[in-house]
Amino acid sequence: MARVKRTTKTVAQRIDLHYFKRPHPFRRWLFILSLLLPVLAVIWLASYGLARDNHVYSSGRMAPAHAVLTQKCGACHVSRAGFFSAKSNDQACLTCHDGPIHHANQLFTPECSSCHVEHRGLARLAATADESCAQCHARLRTSGGATSYARNIWSFGAGHPEFAPLRPGFTDPATIKLNHAVHMKGKLLGPNGPVQLVCEDCHRANAASQAWRFPIAPGSPSGETPQAIGGAAVSVRGEKLGPPSRASMRAYMGPITYANQCAGCHPMPFDKRFTESVPHDTPERVHAFVMKKLQDYIAAHPHELSETVSTVMLPGKPLPVSPRVYRSPKEWVEAKVAEAELLLWGKTCRQCHALDYPAASSTNAAQPASLPVVAKSNIALLWFQHAVFDHDQHRLVSCESCHTRTRMSQENSDVLLPSVQTCQQCHHSGADGAESRCFECHVYHDWKTEKDVINQLSLTDLLNRPARTRTATTPISSGK
Amino acid sequence: MQNSHALGFSVLLRCSLLRRAGWPISRRRNGGIRTGKGHVRELPAERMRIDKTQRPWFVASLAILVVATAVYIPYARMSPHGPSGASALGLTFGIVGSAFMLFAGLLAARKKVPVWRVGRAQTWMRGHLWLGLLSLPLILFHGAFRFGGPLTTALMILLIIVVGSGLFGAALQHYMPTVMTVEVPLETIFEQIDHRRGQLLTEADDFVEGASTLEGQLASAAARAAAATEETGVATEVNVTPLRTFYVREMRPFLEKPGVRGHKLSNPAKARAMFEGLRMLLPVEIHETLQDLADICEEERQLSQQLRLHHVLHGWLMLHIPLSLALLLLGAAHAVMALRY
Repeated sequence: MARVKRTTKTVAQRIDLHYFKRPHPFRRWLFILSLLLPVLAVIWLASYGLARDNHVYSSGRMAPAHAVLTQKCGACHVSRAGFFSAKSNDQACLTCHDGPIHHANQLFTPECSSCHVEHRGLARLAATADESCAQCHARLRTSGGATSYARNIWSFGAGHPEFAPLRPGFTDPATIKLNHAVHMKGKLLGPNGPVQLVCEDCHRANAASQAWRFPIAPGSPSGETPQAIGGAAVSVRGEKLGPPSRASMRAYMGPITYANQCAGCHPMPFDKRFTESVPHDTPERVHAFVMKKLQDYIAAHPHELSETVSTVMLPGKPLPVSPRVYRSPKEWVEAKVAEAELLLWGKTCRQCHALDYPAASSTNAAQPASLPVVAKSNIALLWFQHAVFDHDQHRLVSCESCHTRTRMSQENSDVLLPSVQTCQQCHHSGADGAESRCFECHVYHDWKTEKDVINQLSLTDLLNRPARTRTATTPISSGK
Repeated sequence: MQNSHALGFSVLLRCSLLRRAGWPISRRRNGGIRTGKGHVRELPAERMRIDKTQRPWFVASLAILVVATAVYIPYARMSPHGPSGASALGLTFGIVGSAFMLFAGLLAARKKVPVWRVGRAQTWMRGHLWLGLLSLPLILFHGAFRFGGPLTTALMILLIIVVGSGLFGAALQHYMPTVMTVEVPLETIFEQIDHRRGQLLTEADDFVEGASTLEGQLASAAARAAAATEETGVATEVNVTPLRTFYVREMRPFLEKPGVRGHKLSNPAKARAMFEGLRMLLPVEIHETLQDLADICEEERQLSQQLRLHHVLHGWLMLHIPLSLALLLLGAAHAVMALRY
């Protein structure tokens, strides 16, 4: 008995001609899923829409500075009435913070978002690209036509000129006669014996927590006191370098003062009768101090009006003694003051300061003709006029590895600033280079011209339900 | 792809049936089939294989990828703030990638209306495969390899799953038809499997019923012969009880519930042993019926195997197609909102 008689009829009977009318479970499930998943996708989007939360359409995580606005798209994306577009614009940025222009004579002001790119995650908004700066500085042109700045700077590694203080013709304006080479030698005479000075003995950041190695003696009438640890923020040329934060306090070296850096090794005696020094102050005050000291002394010791002094001192010979009698304490004081000031103006002060004796015609009552004028020290606190630097960030390298010419410097006119090539050894492009983009040292906005911004937001506004895109005429808070 | 594949199976089945019906059939070198009446049918399933016929598409796709990469690398290195989907080049990558995705998605529409004269199905399928694959790197270039916000992250994940499942499916489509041809020579149209199983059950019932009838007929014939010769000792005794017992206890449950695992008849070796044992117990007259029943069990096993292979071959579509639709929908929302913001 054959299983099947292979005729066309039997073959045709094997086929259910209506099978396509009954969907197979496989196809049915495929259809259901094909319907279900897109519907779920729509529901997902709709749930955000119903919650008035448009951040689902965000192109990425916001920067930490703006993270609180993550669900308030309308804070930045201002829609224009009647237009579909709701792109962010400068007005939205300026609602919360001012953005002063770079220079008054600039030809081009970029949009905020062209430099500070949002929705890039945890990036710093201030970390702008070199190209943002180079769009002007690569071929610098100004509205006035002339500029004193380099005209073709592409990046720190391409076109950046040498630092201004190191260019030919520039000298250190300081008038203090300091010989770094001498001070870096060993076995200098310190207050308690030979010492080897190191850079930190004189140069420290404002926020340095260690006591000075050679400060002024306690109780000294020098007119100065050692700088308090953690002092105020450095203020130079009338402008603060930054808020008095720990970071800014560690960024720059504190000012050099006689009390902190010099007094320990360079006392200022004026008379053998006194162990104390004169105050490190103006000649007038020094003069008054010496006068007062001597007047008090002769009043307490009237027998010293008559004294014997050796006029000539020759080695190997007995000292010839010549008695000298002063007619009054005043004469004694004038004589001793003259001797003391001869020492002070002629040696002690002149060792570091430039002294000048003005002509008699130009003096006044407050400036006796016998007193010198001390030139301003002009010690530079900041060398960079248009850049910032942070010593604390560079503390892993020794001072002399950057300030390479220190041990050879003998003139106070030497500028010991590291050259741009020194910086470029570490700060260069590439994976093995430290940050070398412009923003690392330069600030675009001229914060001296910053205008106050009227605060418009409250905590309730920020933490409330997310706002949809607001219109240009509505404040942020009304968008919720 | 499923329809094309089903079409291929139907042609194979038709070929098999025609051969059984005695029609002359020859296989063409290019994979088509020429029937004895001069009709030529293509075998789309074989054309879909990743062979040298795909070379033009492969070369074109590779060229597009190389050009896109050559454009992207300098663009990414020279962009002030890094590459972005909002830049002109980023938008271009996004538009081209989306166009490729849309084209790949239109394959479903093309299948729904096969009579549309908008290119050959084979071209659509290859475009779907290669352009769909190409859309992933282009969209990655568009997004600068960042996933972005919630919607764009969802889109990226969907795209990766869709392209990944598509690659998996393409690999299956490349290898599985051969496996199917070897392991399931009695393959039928997938949707006909249940129908065919019903037929097999009916056939089996008929065979066992026929065997019982034959038992009676042989007994009557034997009785008549014994009466004529008055020699009762030579009468042939036919007893099909072992067959009925086997059928009721083993074979019919197997045919009724073929999906039950561990059944003896689902194992070809065990089934063969069982039928050999029955052959020893049953008279020669029943052996042909026994062979038919063994054939039915074999066909049932092949149908089960076809079912398994089909689920493997097409199961990925459960992921690929619904997610593709969701991807296109969310992609459209992304495009609109990106223009707004």
